[in-house]
Amino acid sequence: MSATQQLSFIARYSLTLSLMAFLGAAFFLPWVGAGPISISRVLHHQSPDYEILLQLRLSRTLLALVAGGALSLAGALFQAMLRDALATPYTLGISAGASLGAVAVIAAGWETFFGIPMTWIGALSGAFAVLVLVLGGAIQQRRISAFSLLLTGIAINSICAAFIIILSSFAGMSRSFSIARWLIGSIDATSYVSLAVLAAVVLLVSAMILTQARNWNLLAVGERWAASRGVRVGVLLTQGYILGSILAAAAIALTGPIGFVELIVPHLVRSRISPDHRLLMPCAFLLGGTLLALCDAVGRIIVPPAEIPAGAVLALIGGPYLVWVIRQRMPAEEI
Amino acid sequence: MSLLLEVEGVSFSYGSRSVLNSIDLRAGQGEFLALVGINGSGKSTLLDIVSGFRSPEAGSVLIGGRSQREWKRREIAQQVSHLPQAIHADLPFTAEQLVGMGRYPHTDRWFESEEDHRAIRAAMERTSCWTQRHRTFRSLSGGERQRVLLAACLAQNASALLLDEPSTFLDIEQQLHCFSVLREEAQSGKLCIAAMHDLNLALTYCTRLVVLADGVIAYDIRTAEAHDNKRWLGVFSKRLDMSTTPAGSPWVWYQ
Repeated sequence: MSATQQLSFIARYSLTLSLMAFLGAAFFLPWVGAGPISISRVLHHQSPDYEILLQLRLSRTLLALVAGGALSLAGALFQAMLRDALATPYTLGISAGASLGAVAVIAAGWETFFGIPMTWIGALSGAFAVLVLVLGGAIQQRRISAFSLLLTGIAINSICAAFIIILSSFAGMSRSFSIARWLIGSIDATSYVSLAVLAAVVLLVSAMILTQARNWNLLAVGERWAASRGVRVGVLLTQGYILGSILAAAAIALTGPIGFVELIVPHLVRSRISPDHRLLMPCAFLLGGTLLALCDAVGRIIVPPAEIPAGAVLALIGGPYLVWVIRQRMPAEEI
Repeated sequence: MSLLLEVEGVSFSYGSRSVLNSIDLRAGQGEFLALVGINGSGKSTLLDIVSGFRSPEAGSVLIGGRSQREWKRREIAQQVSHLPQAIHADLPFTAEQLVGMGRYPHTDRWFESEEDHRAIRAAMERTSCWTQRHRTFRSLSGGERQRVLLAACLAQNASALLLDEPSTFLDIEQQLHCFSVLREEAQSGKLCIAAMHDLNLALTYCTRLVVLADGVIAYDIRTAEAHDNKRWLGVFSKRLDMSTTPAGSPWVWYQ
Protein backbone atom coordinates (compact mmCIF):
# COMPACT_ATOMS: atom_id res chain seq x y z
CA MET A 1 0.00 0.00 0.00
CA SER A 2 1.49 3.39 -1.01
CA ALA A 3 1.78 6.26 1.46
CA THR A 4 -1.11 8.11 -0.21
CA GLN A 5 -3.39 5.05 -0.12
CA GLN A 6 -2.44 4.41 3.51
CA LEU A 7 -3.31 7.99 4.49
CA SER A 8 -6.57 7.84 2.60
CA PHE A 9 -7.46 4.52 4.28
CA ILE A 10 -6.75 5.86 7.79
CA ALA A 11 -8.76 9.01 7.00
CA ARG A 12 -11.78 7.08 5.71
CA TYR A 13 -11.64 4.55 8.54
CA SER A 14 -11.37 7.07 11.39
CA LEU A 15 -13.91 9.49 9.91
CA THR A 16 -16.42 6.68 9.33
CA LEU A 17 -16.05 5.37 12.89
CA SER A 18 -16.38 8.88 14.36
CA LEU A 19 -19.47 9.56 12.24
CA MET A 20 -21.02 6.24 13.30
CA ALA A 21 -20.41 7.11 16.97
CA PHE A 22 -22.02 10.54 16.43
CA LEU A 23 -25.07 9.18 14.63
CA GLY A 24 -25.33 6.27 17.09
CA ALA A 25 -25.46 8.77 19.97
CA ALA A 26 -28.14 10.81 18.16
CA PHE A 27 -30.33 7.73 17.60
CA PHE A 28 -29.88 5.80 20.84
CA LEU A 29 -29.14 8.26 23.68
CA PRO A 30 -32.58 9.98 23.59
CA TRP A 31 -34.03 6.64 24.73
CA VAL A 32 -31.81 6.66 27.82
CA GLY A 33 -33.20 8.35 30.93
CA ALA A 34 -34.60 8.03 34.44
CA GLY A 35 -37.79 6.40 33.22
CA PRO A 36 -38.30 3.92 30.38
CA ILE A 37 -39.93 5.05 27.15
CA SER A 38 -42.09 2.69 25.10
CA ILE A 39 -41.24 2.66 21.39
CA SER A 40 -44.79 1.69 20.44
CA ARG A 41 -46.25 4.56 22.50
CA VAL A 42 -43.85 6.98 20.79
CA LEU A 43 -44.76 5.64 17.35
CA HIS A 44 -48.44 6.18 18.18
CA HIS A 45 -47.78 9.72 19.48
CA GLN A 46 -49.06 8.77 22.95
CA SER A 47 -48.40 10.95 26.02
CA PRO A 48 -46.20 11.29 27.93
CA ASP A 49 -43.60 9.06 26.17
CA TYR A 50 -43.87 10.92 22.87
CA GLU A 51 -43.40 14.37 24.49
CA ILE A 52 -40.58 13.15 26.77
CA LEU A 53 -38.66 11.77 23.82
CA LEU A 54 -39.21 14.57 21.33
CA GLN A 55 -39.51 17.66 23.50
CA LEU A 56 -37.04 16.78 26.22
CA ARG A 57 -34.53 14.04 25.52
CA LEU A 58 -34.06 14.39 21.76
CA SER A 59 -33.58 18.16 21.92
CA ARG A 60 -31.05 17.94 24.76
CA THR A 61 -29.19 15.09 23.04
CA LEU A 62 -28.96 17.13 19.83
CA LEU A 63 -27.88 20.18 21.87
CA ALA A 64 -25.14 18.09 23.53
CA LEU A 65 -23.97 16.77 20.15
CA VAL A 66 -23.74 20.22 18.57
CA ALA A 67 -22.33 22.02 21.65
CA GLY A 68 -19.85 19.22 22.43
CA GLY A 69 -18.68 19.20 18.82
CA ALA A 70 -18.28 22.98 18.84
CA LEU A 71 -16.33 23.02 22.13
CA SER A 72 -14.10 20.14 21.07
CA LEU A 73 -13.32 21.77 17.72
CA ALA A 74 -12.64 25.10 19.44
CA GLY A 75 -10.25 23.25 21.78
CA ALA A 76 -8.39 21.64 18.86
CA LEU A 77 -8.17 25.05 17.16
CA PHE A 78 -6.81 26.92 20.20
CA GLN A 79 -4.36 24.08 20.89
CA ALA A 80 -2.99 24.47 17.35
CA MET A 81 -2.83 28.26 17.64
CA LEU A 82 -1.02 28.21 20.99
CA ARG A 83 1.02 25.06 20.20
CA ASP A 84 -0.06 23.57 23.50
CA ALA A 85 -2.13 20.41 23.95
CA LEU A 86 -3.62 21.84 27.15
CA ALA A 87 -4.95 25.10 25.65
CA THR A 88 -8.75 25.59 25.59
CA PRO A 89 -11.23 28.44 25.07
CA TYR A 90 -10.73 29.03 28.82
CA THR A 91 -7.03 29.70 28.28
CA LEU A 92 -7.78 32.61 25.96
CA GLY A 93 -10.42 34.19 28.20
CA ILE A 94 -13.41 33.60 25.89
CA SER A 95 -15.19 31.24 28.27
CA ALA A 96 -14.49 33.59 31.18
CA GLY A 97 -15.98 36.52 29.25
CA ALA A 98 -19.08 34.50 28.32
CA SER A 99 -19.46 33.31 31.90
CA LEU A 100 -19.20 36.83 33.31
CA GLY A 101 -21.85 38.04 30.85
CA ALA A 102 -24.25 35.24 31.80
CA VAL A 103 -23.58 35.61 35.53
CA ALA A 104 -24.24 39.36 35.34
CA VAL A 105 -27.60 38.66 33.74
CA ILE A 106 -28.54 36.03 36.36
CA ALA A 107 -27.41 38.33 39.20
CA ALA A 108 -29.56 41.15 37.80
CA GLY A 109 -32.56 38.81 37.67
CA TRP A 110 -33.22 39.30 33.93
CA GLU A 111 -34.78 36.16 32.49
CA THR A 112 -35.94 36.66 28.91
CA PHE A 113 -35.88 39.34 26.23
CA PHE A 114 -38.55 38.88 23.54
CA GLY A 115 -38.59 35.17 24.40
CA ILE A 116 -34.80 34.75 24.16
CA PRO A 117 -33.11 33.63 27.41
CA MET A 118 -31.06 36.53 28.71
CA THR A 119 -28.19 34.19 29.68
CA TRP A 120 -27.61 33.64 25.95
CA ILE A 121 -27.44 37.35 25.29
CA GLY A 122 -25.24 37.87 28.35
CA ALA A 123 -22.84 35.08 27.40
CA LEU A 124 -22.56 36.20 23.77
CA SER A 125 -22.06 39.84 24.81
CA GLY A 126 -19.38 38.84 27.34
CA ALA A 127 -17.50 36.73 24.80
CA PHE A 128 -17.79 39.52 22.18
CA ALA A 129 -16.46 42.11 24.68
CA VAL A 130 -13.41 39.91 25.35
CA LEU A 131 -12.91 39.43 21.61
CA VAL A 132 -12.93 43.19 20.95
CA LEU A 133 -10.66 43.83 23.94
CA VAL A 134 -8.05 41.25 22.92
CA LEU A 135 -8.03 42.02 19.19
CA GLY A 136 -8.10 45.79 19.88
CA GLY A 137 -5.00 45.42 22.06
CA ALA A 138 -3.26 43.29 19.46
CA ILE A 139 -4.05 45.74 16.65
CA GLN A 140 -2.68 48.64 18.73
CA GLN A 141 0.59 46.73 19.07
CA ARG A 142 0.47 46.22 15.25
CA ARG A 143 1.28 42.57 15.71
CA ILE A 144 -0.74 39.60 16.90
CA SER A 145 1.06 36.55 18.23
CA ALA A 146 0.07 33.41 20.10
CA PHE A 147 2.12 34.60 23.06
CA SER A 148 0.31 37.94 23.34
CA LEU A 149 -3.07 36.15 23.04
CA LEU A 150 -2.07 33.78 25.83
CA LEU A 151 -0.93 36.53 28.22
CA THR A 152 -4.05 38.59 27.54
CA GLY A 153 -6.19 35.47 28.10
CA ILE A 154 -4.63 34.84 31.50
CA ALA A 155 -5.26 38.45 32.54
CA ILE A 156 -8.88 38.35 31.32
CA ASN A 157 -9.52 35.07 33.18
CA SER A 158 -8.37 36.64 36.45
CA ILE A 159 -10.42 39.81 35.96
CA CYS A 160 -13.59 37.91 34.97
CA ALA A 161 -13.19 35.46 37.88
CA ALA A 162 -12.93 38.41 40.28
CA PHE A 163 -16.09 40.04 38.87
CA ILE A 164 -17.99 36.72 39.01
CA ILE A 165 -17.14 36.38 42.73
CA ILE A 166 -18.17 40.00 43.39
CA LEU A 167 -21.49 39.55 41.53
CA SER A 168 -22.19 36.25 43.35
CA SER A 169 -21.59 37.95 46.70
CA PHE A 170 -24.24 40.58 45.99
CA ALA A 171 -26.72 38.31 44.22
CA GLY A 172 -28.57 36.80 47.18
CA MET A 173 -29.01 33.13 48.06
CA SER A 174 -31.24 31.83 45.26
CA ARG A 175 -29.48 33.73 42.48
CA SER A 176 -26.09 32.64 43.84
CA PHE A 177 -27.30 29.05 43.53
CA SER A 178 -28.42 29.69 39.94
CA ILE A 179 -25.02 31.23 39.18
CA ALA A 180 -23.18 28.24 40.68
CA ARG A 181 -25.32 25.80 38.70
CA TRP A 182 -24.84 27.71 35.46
CA LEU A 183 -21.07 27.80 36.01
CA ILE A 184 -20.93 23.97 36.27
CA GLY A 185 -22.53 23.69 32.83
CA SER A 186 -25.48 21.51 31.97
CA ILE A 187 -27.54 20.35 29.03
CA ASP A 188 -31.21 21.24 29.31
CA ALA A 189 -34.07 20.73 26.91
CA THR A 190 -34.24 23.62 24.48
CA SER A 191 -36.51 24.73 21.66
CA TYR A 192 -35.81 23.38 18.20
CA VAL A 193 -35.64 26.94 16.88
CA SER A 194 -32.75 27.73 19.26
CA LEU A 195 -31.15 24.43 18.35
CA ALA A 196 -31.43 25.16 14.63
CA VAL A 197 -29.82 28.59 15.09
CA LEU A 198 -26.97 27.07 17.13
CA ALA A 199 -26.48 24.24 14.61
CA ALA A 200 -26.41 26.67 11.67
CA VAL A 201 -23.81 28.92 13.35
CA VAL A 202 -21.69 25.97 14.49
CA LEU A 203 -21.75 24.20 11.12
CA LEU A 204 -20.90 27.36 9.17
CA VAL A 205 -18.02 28.34 11.48
CA SER A 206 -16.75 24.73 11.69
CA ALA A 207 -16.66 24.51 7.89
CA MET A 208 -14.65 27.75 7.75
CA ILE A 209 -12.18 26.35 10.31
CA LEU A 210 -11.88 22.98 8.55
CA THR A 211 -11.04 24.53 5.18
CA GLN A 212 -7.89 25.97 6.82
CA ALA A 213 -6.83 22.62 8.33
CA ARG A 214 -3.44 22.56 6.56
CA ASN A 215 -2.68 26.04 7.85
CA TRP A 216 -3.48 24.96 11.44
CA ASN A 217 -0.90 22.18 10.97
CA LEU A 218 1.71 24.77 10.04
CA LEU A 219 0.78 27.13 12.86
CA ALA A 220 0.89 24.25 15.35
CA VAL A 221 4.59 23.86 14.55
CA GLY A 222 5.51 27.54 14.77
CA GLU A 223 4.77 31.02 13.49
CA ARG A 224 8.04 31.31 11.50
CA TRP A 225 7.46 27.80 10.16
CA ALA A 226 3.97 28.77 8.98
CA ALA A 227 5.08 32.10 7.52
CA SER A 228 7.80 30.50 5.41
CA ARG A 229 5.31 27.97 4.07
CA GLY A 230 2.89 30.54 2.73
CA VAL A 231 0.73 31.51 5.71
CA ARG A 232 -0.10 35.11 6.66
CA VAL A 233 0.34 34.42 10.35
CA GLY A 234 -1.31 37.55 11.78
CA VAL A 235 -4.37 37.17 9.56
CA LEU A 236 -4.68 33.45 10.33
CA LEU A 237 -4.36 33.97 14.10
CA THR A 238 -7.02 36.70 13.97
CA GLN A 239 -9.35 34.46 11.94
CA GLY A 240 -8.77 31.55 14.30
CA TYR A 241 -9.38 33.66 17.37
CA ILE A 242 -12.65 35.08 15.99
CA LEU A 243 -13.97 31.74 14.65
CA GLY A 244 -12.97 29.80 17.78
CA SER A 245 -14.55 32.45 19.99
CA ILE A 246 -17.84 32.29 18.06
CA LEU A 247 -17.89 28.48 18.37
CA ALA A 248 -17.14 28.50 22.09
CA ALA A 249 -19.47 31.40 22.90
CA ALA A 250 -22.40 29.92 20.94
CA ALA A 251 -22.05 26.60 22.77
CA ILE A 252 -21.46 28.13 26.21
CA ALA A 253 -24.47 30.44 25.82
CA LEU A 254 -26.74 27.38 25.68
CA THR A 255 -24.94 24.99 28.01
CA GLY A 256 -22.82 27.02 30.43
CA PRO A 257 -19.03 26.73 30.56
CA ILE A 258 -18.70 22.97 30.23
CA GLY A 259 -15.06 22.06 30.63
CA PHE A 260 -12.79 19.20 29.65
CA VAL A 261 -14.56 18.11 26.44
CA GLU A 262 -12.31 20.52 24.53
CA LEU A 263 -9.29 19.00 26.30
CA ILE A 264 -10.02 15.27 26.38
CA VAL A 265 -11.33 14.69 22.88
CA PRO A 266 -8.67 16.51 20.78
CA HIS A 267 -5.98 14.89 22.94
CA LEU A 268 -7.41 11.40 22.41
CA VAL A 269 -7.84 11.92 18.67
CA ARG A 270 -4.33 13.38 18.40
CA SER A 271 -2.73 10.41 20.14
CA ARG A 272 -4.99 7.61 18.77
CA ILE A 273 -5.79 8.76 15.23
CA SER A 274 -3.56 11.60 14.00
CA PRO A 275 -2.19 15.02 15.02
CA ASP A 276 -2.85 16.13 11.42
CA HIS A 277 -5.65 18.72 11.66
CA ARG A 278 -7.19 17.51 8.38
CA LEU A 279 -8.24 14.41 10.32
CA LEU A 280 -8.04 15.67 13.88
CA MET A 281 -10.57 18.46 13.49
CA PRO A 282 -13.51 16.56 11.91
CA CYS A 283 -12.97 13.59 14.24
CA ALA A 284 -12.70 15.89 17.28
CA PHE A 285 -16.00 17.55 16.32
CA LEU A 286 -17.86 14.26 15.90
CA LEU A 287 -16.39 12.56 18.98
CA GLY A 288 -16.67 15.72 21.13
CA GLY A 289 -20.40 15.82 20.46
CA THR A 290 -20.67 12.11 21.18
CA LEU A 291 -18.83 12.40 24.51
CA LEU A 292 -20.94 15.31 25.77
CA ALA A 293 -24.18 13.55 24.78
CA LEU A 294 -22.95 10.40 26.52
CA CYS A 295 -22.06 12.31 29.71
CA ASP A 296 -25.49 13.96 29.66
CA ALA A 297 -27.15 10.53 29.34
CA VAL A 298 -25.02 9.14 32.17
CA GLY A 299 -25.99 12.14 34.33
CA ARG A 300 -29.68 11.33 33.68
CA ILE A 301 -29.52 7.72 34.84
CA ILE A 302 -26.84 7.56 37.53
CA VAL A 303 -28.97 8.73 40.52
CA PRO A 304 -32.60 8.81 39.30
CA PRO A 305 -34.82 10.73 39.58
CA ALA A 306 -32.18 13.41 40.27
CA GLU A 307 -29.93 14.50 37.42
CA ILE A 308 -26.23 15.27 37.58
CA PRO A 309 -25.30 18.10 35.18
CA ALA A 310 -23.24 16.97 32.19
CA GLY A 311 -20.54 19.47 33.20
CA ALA A 312 -20.13 17.69 36.56
CA VAL A 313 -19.95 14.22 34.89
CA LEU A 314 -17.32 15.52 32.47
CA ALA A 315 -15.34 17.12 35.28
CA LEU A 316 -15.32 13.81 37.17
CA ILE A 317 -13.90 12.08 34.08
CA GLY A 318 -11.80 15.00 32.89
CA GLY A 319 -10.01 15.83 36.16
CA PRO A 320 -8.28 12.44 36.52
CA TYR A 321 -7.70 12.37 32.76
CA LEU A 322 -5.91 15.73 32.91
CA VAL A 323 -3.61 14.43 35.66
CA TRP A 324 -2.88 11.39 33.49
CA VAL A 325 -2.12 13.60 30.46
CA ILE A 326 0.31 15.71 32.48
CA ARG A 327 2.07 12.58 33.75
CA GLN A 328 2.32 11.33 30.16
CA ARG A 329 3.78 14.64 28.94
CA MET A 330 6.71 14.74 31.36
CA PRO A 331 8.97 12.05 29.86
CA ALA A 332 8.64 13.42 26.32
CA GLU A 333 9.56 16.95 27.41
CA GLU A 334 12.60 15.78 29.31
CA ILE A 335 14.13 14.18 26.20
CA MET B 1 24.66 33.64 -12.72
CA SER B 2 21.16 35.04 -12.69
CA LEU B 3 20.25 37.46 -9.89
CA LEU B 4 17.68 36.00 -7.51
CA LEU B 5 17.75 38.14 -4.39
CA GLU B 6 18.23 41.89 -4.00
CA VAL B 7 18.16 43.50 -0.57
CA GLU B 8 18.16 47.28 -0.93
CA GLY B 9 18.70 49.69 1.98
CA VAL B 10 17.00 47.43 4.52
CA SER B 11 16.86 48.72 8.11
CA PHE B 12 15.27 47.12 11.15
CA SER B 13 15.21 47.77 14.87
CA TYR B 14 13.73 46.11 17.94
CA GLY B 15 12.24 49.07 19.79
CA SER B 16 15.02 51.60 20.19
CA ARG B 17 17.79 49.06 19.41
CA SER B 18 18.81 49.28 15.78
CA VAL B 19 19.87 45.89 14.39
CA LEU B 20 20.17 46.41 10.66
CA ASN B 21 21.10 49.74 9.16
CA SER B 22 20.63 50.22 5.43
CA ILE B 23 21.76 46.76 4.32
CA ASP B 24 22.44 46.13 0.61
CA LEU B 25 22.96 42.57 -0.61
CA ARG B 26 22.67 40.87 -3.97
CA ALA B 27 22.88 37.14 -4.57
CA GLY B 28 22.17 34.86 -7.47
CA GLN B 29 21.51 31.28 -8.43
CA GLY B 30 24.34 28.87 -7.71
CA GLU B 31 25.72 30.89 -4.78
CA PHE B 32 26.14 29.59 -1.24
CA LEU B 33 26.44 32.53 1.15
CA ALA B 34 27.69 32.23 4.71
CA LEU B 35 26.06 34.96 6.79
CA VAL B 36 28.41 35.37 9.73
CA GLY B 37 28.77 37.78 12.63
CA ILE B 38 28.85 37.83 16.39
CA ASN B 39 25.73 37.08 18.49
CA GLY B 40 23.06 39.73 18.05
CA SER B 41 24.57 41.08 14.82
CA GLY B 42 21.26 40.66 12.98
CA LYS B 43 21.82 37.46 10.97
CA SER B 44 18.52 35.83 11.95
CA THR B 45 16.66 39.13 11.58
CA LEU B 46 17.97 39.55 8.04
CA LEU B 47 16.84 35.98 7.18
CA ASP B 48 13.43 36.72 8.74
CA ILE B 49 13.10 39.81 6.54
CA VAL B 50 14.13 37.99 3.36
CA SER B 51 11.70 35.15 4.14
CA GLY B 52 8.91 37.71 4.65
CA PHE B 53 8.31 36.88 8.31
CA ARG B 54 9.33 40.40 9.35
CA SER B 55 8.80 43.61 7.41
CA PRO B 56 11.74 46.01 7.16
CA GLU B 57 11.34 49.52 8.56
CA ALA B 58 13.03 50.91 5.49
CA GLY B 59 14.27 49.53 2.21
CA SER B 60 12.97 46.67 0.10
CA VAL B 61 13.58 43.07 -0.84
CA LEU B 62 13.30 41.90 -4.43
CA ILE B 63 12.92 38.22 -5.29
CA GLY B 64 13.46 37.35 -8.93
CA GLY B 65 13.42 41.07 -9.76
CA ARG B 66 9.98 41.62 -8.23
CA SER B 67 9.35 43.39 -4.94
CA GLN B 68 8.52 41.03 -2.07
CA ARG B 69 5.39 43.12 -1.35
CA GLU B 70 4.00 42.23 -4.79
CA TRP B 71 4.30 38.50 -4.15
CA LYS B 72 1.55 36.60 -2.37
CA ARG B 73 2.77 34.78 0.74
CA ARG B 74 2.29 31.44 -0.92
CA GLU B 75 4.25 32.55 -4.00
CA ILE B 76 7.11 33.62 -1.71
CA ALA B 77 6.98 30.17 -0.06
CA GLN B 78 7.36 28.57 -3.49
CA GLN B 79 10.49 30.69 -4.04
CA VAL B 80 12.02 30.84 -0.55
CA SER B 81 12.20 28.22 2.19
CA HIS B 82 13.40 29.01 5.68
CA LEU B 83 14.99 26.71 8.24
CA PRO B 84 14.32 28.25 11.65
CA GLN B 85 16.91 28.11 14.43
CA ALA B 86 14.66 25.83 16.47
CA ILE B 87 11.02 24.87 16.69
CA HIS B 88 9.06 23.81 19.73
CA ALA B 89 6.63 21.22 18.38
CA ASP B 90 4.73 20.24 21.50
CA LEU B 91 2.03 18.57 19.42
CA PRO B 92 3.01 15.03 18.35
CA PHE B 93 3.63 15.43 14.62
CA THR B 94 5.76 12.67 13.12
CA ALA B 95 8.97 13.47 11.27
CA GLU B 96 7.28 12.57 7.96
CA GLN B 97 4.29 14.84 8.65
CA LEU B 98 6.62 17.76 9.35
CA VAL B 99 8.60 17.21 6.16
CA GLY B 100 5.29 16.84 4.28
CA MET B 101 4.38 20.40 5.31
CA GLY B 102 7.13 21.57 2.96
CA ARG B 103 4.86 20.49 0.09
CA TYR B 104 1.89 22.63 1.18
CA PRO B 105 2.82 25.72 -0.88
CA HIS B 106 2.84 23.61 -4.06
CA THR B 107 -0.60 22.06 -3.99
CA ASP B 108 -4.23 22.70 -3.12
CA ARG B 109 -4.93 18.99 -2.66
CA TRP B 110 -6.39 18.04 0.71
CA PHE B 111 -3.83 15.24 1.13
CA GLU B 112 -0.40 14.90 -0.47
CA SER B 113 -0.12 13.22 -3.87
CA GLU B 114 2.18 10.35 -4.83
CA GLU B 115 4.54 12.94 -6.30
CA ASP B 116 4.59 14.81 -2.99
CA HIS B 117 5.38 11.57 -1.15
CA ARG B 118 8.26 10.88 -3.53
CA ALA B 119 9.65 14.38 -2.85
CA ILE B 120 9.25 13.84 0.92
CA ARG B 121 11.06 10.51 0.79
CA ALA B 122 13.86 11.86 -1.41
CA ALA B 123 14.42 14.82 0.94
CA MET B 124 14.43 12.59 4.05
CA GLU B 125 16.82 10.14 2.45
CA ARG B 126 19.19 12.96 1.50
CA THR B 127 19.38 14.12 5.10
CA SER B 128 19.52 10.54 6.46
CA CYS B 129 16.30 10.71 8.48
CA TRP B 130 13.95 8.45 6.45
CA THR B 131 14.29 5.65 9.02
CA GLN B 132 12.92 8.01 11.70
CA ARG B 133 9.89 9.00 9.64
CA HIS B 134 7.30 7.45 11.98
CA ARG B 135 8.80 8.85 15.17
CA THR B 136 7.26 11.96 16.73
CA PHE B 137 9.40 15.04 16.26
CA ARG B 138 9.59 15.73 19.99
CA SER B 139 11.02 12.25 20.67
CA LEU B 140 13.99 12.87 18.35
CA SER B 141 17.42 14.03 19.51
CA GLY B 142 18.61 17.55 18.65
CA GLY B 143 20.63 16.35 15.69
CA GLU B 144 17.83 14.17 14.34
CA ARG B 145 15.41 17.08 14.61
CA GLN B 146 17.77 19.33 12.69
CA ARG B 147 17.99 16.78 9.86
CA VAL B 148 14.18 16.53 9.71
CA LEU B 149 13.88 20.33 9.51
CA LEU B 150 16.47 20.44 6.75
CA ALA B 151 14.54 17.73 4.87
CA ALA B 152 11.39 19.89 5.17
CA CYS B 153 13.28 22.77 3.55
CA LEU B 154 14.53 20.54 0.74
CA ALA B 155 11.04 19.09 0.16
CA GLN B 156 9.76 22.64 -0.33
CA ASN B 157 11.86 22.76 -3.50
CA ALA B 158 12.27 26.54 -3.37
CA SER B 159 14.78 28.54 -5.44
CA ALA B 160 16.36 30.06 -2.32
CA LEU B 161 17.09 28.28 0.95
CA LEU B 162 17.52 30.43 4.06
CA LEU B 163 19.10 28.45 6.87
CA ASP B 164 19.44 29.74 10.40
CA GLU B 165 22.35 27.84 11.94
CA PRO B 166 21.73 24.60 10.03
CA SER B 167 24.54 22.68 11.75
CA THR B 168 23.25 23.26 15.29
CA PHE B 169 23.15 20.00 17.30
CA LEU B 170 24.75 18.00 14.46
CA ASP B 171 27.81 15.85 15.11
CA ILE B 172 30.86 16.53 12.95
CA GLU B 173 30.05 13.86 10.33
CA GLN B 174 26.48 15.15 10.04
CA GLN B 175 27.67 18.77 9.82
CA LEU B 176 29.86 17.83 6.86
CA HIS B 177 26.99 15.88 5.30
CA CYS B 178 24.54 18.76 5.83
CA PHE B 179 26.87 21.28 4.17
CA SER B 180 27.63 18.86 1.32
CA VAL B 181 23.89 18.63 0.63
CA LEU B 182 23.55 22.41 0.71
CA ARG B 183 26.55 22.81 -1.63
CA GLU B 184 24.90 20.34 -4.04
CA GLU B 185 21.71 22.43 -3.87
CA ALA B 186 23.69 25.56 -4.76
CA GLN B 187 25.52 23.75 -7.55
CA SER B 188 22.16 22.65 -8.97
CA GLY B 189 21.26 26.33 -9.43
CA LYS B 190 19.69 27.29 -6.11
CA LEU B 191 20.69 30.07 -3.77
CA CYS B 192 21.63 29.02 -0.23
CA ILE B 193 22.17 31.53 2.57
CA ALA B 194 23.24 30.06 5.92
CA ALA B 195 23.55 32.11 9.11
CA MET B 196 26.33 30.36 11.01
CA HIS B 197 29.20 30.60 13.46
CA ASP B 198 31.62 27.90 12.24
CA LEU B 199 34.02 29.88 10.04
CA ASN B 200 35.85 26.79 8.79
CA LEU B 201 32.65 25.17 7.57
CA ALA B 202 31.86 28.46 5.84
CA LEU B 203 35.29 28.64 4.21
CA THR B 204 35.13 24.99 3.13
CA TYR B 205 31.65 24.84 1.64
CA CYS B 206 30.36 28.36 0.90
CA THR B 207 31.16 30.57 -2.06
CA ARG B 208 30.79 33.94 -0.29
CA LEU B 209 31.30 35.29 3.21
CA VAL B 210 28.96 38.08 4.26
CA VAL B 211 30.11 39.49 7.60
CA LEU B 212 27.57 41.51 9.59
CA ALA B 213 28.85 43.93 12.21
CA ASP B 214 27.30 47.00 13.86
CA GLY B 215 24.17 46.70 11.75
CA VAL B 216 25.92 46.82 8.38
CA ILE B 217 27.66 44.41 6.03
CA ALA B 218 31.25 44.96 7.12
CA TYR B 219 32.75 42.54 4.59
CA ASP B 220 31.39 40.74 1.55
CA ILE B 221 34.16 38.56 0.12
CA ARG B 222 34.50 35.41 -1.92
CA THR B 223 35.70 32.54 0.25
CA ALA B 224 38.45 31.80 -2.26
CA GLU B 225 39.82 35.28 -1.53
CA ALA B 226 39.28 35.19 2.24
CA HIS B 227 42.95 34.50 2.82
CA ASP B 228 44.09 37.62 0.98
CA ASN B 229 42.78 40.06 3.54
CA LYS B 230 42.47 38.76 7.08
CA ARG B 231 41.03 41.94 8.58
CA TRP B 232 37.49 40.45 8.56
CA LEU B 233 38.63 38.00 11.27
CA GLY B 234 38.93 40.93 13.70
CA VAL B 235 35.14 41.24 13.74
CA PHE B 236 34.97 37.96 15.69
CA SER B 237 38.04 37.95 17.93
CA LYS B 238 41.59 39.27 18.10
CA ARG B 239 42.73 35.71 18.84
CA LEU B 240 41.85 34.39 15.38
CA ASP B 241 44.35 33.83 12.62
CA MET B 242 44.28 32.05 9.31
CA SER B 243 46.51 29.58 7.53
CA THR B 244 46.13 27.04 4.74
CA THR B 245 45.26 23.34 4.94
CA PRO B 246 47.42 20.74 3.12
CA ALA B 247 44.66 20.75 0.48
CA GLY B 248 45.18 24.48 -0.03
CA SER B 249 41.95 25.68 1.59
CA PRO B 250 41.95 28.62 4.03
CA TRP B 251 41.67 27.55 7.68
CA VAL B 252 40.86 29.66 10.73
CA TRP B 253 42.50 28.81 14.02
CA TYR B 254 42.66 30.50 17.40
CA GLN B 255 45.55 31.21 19.71
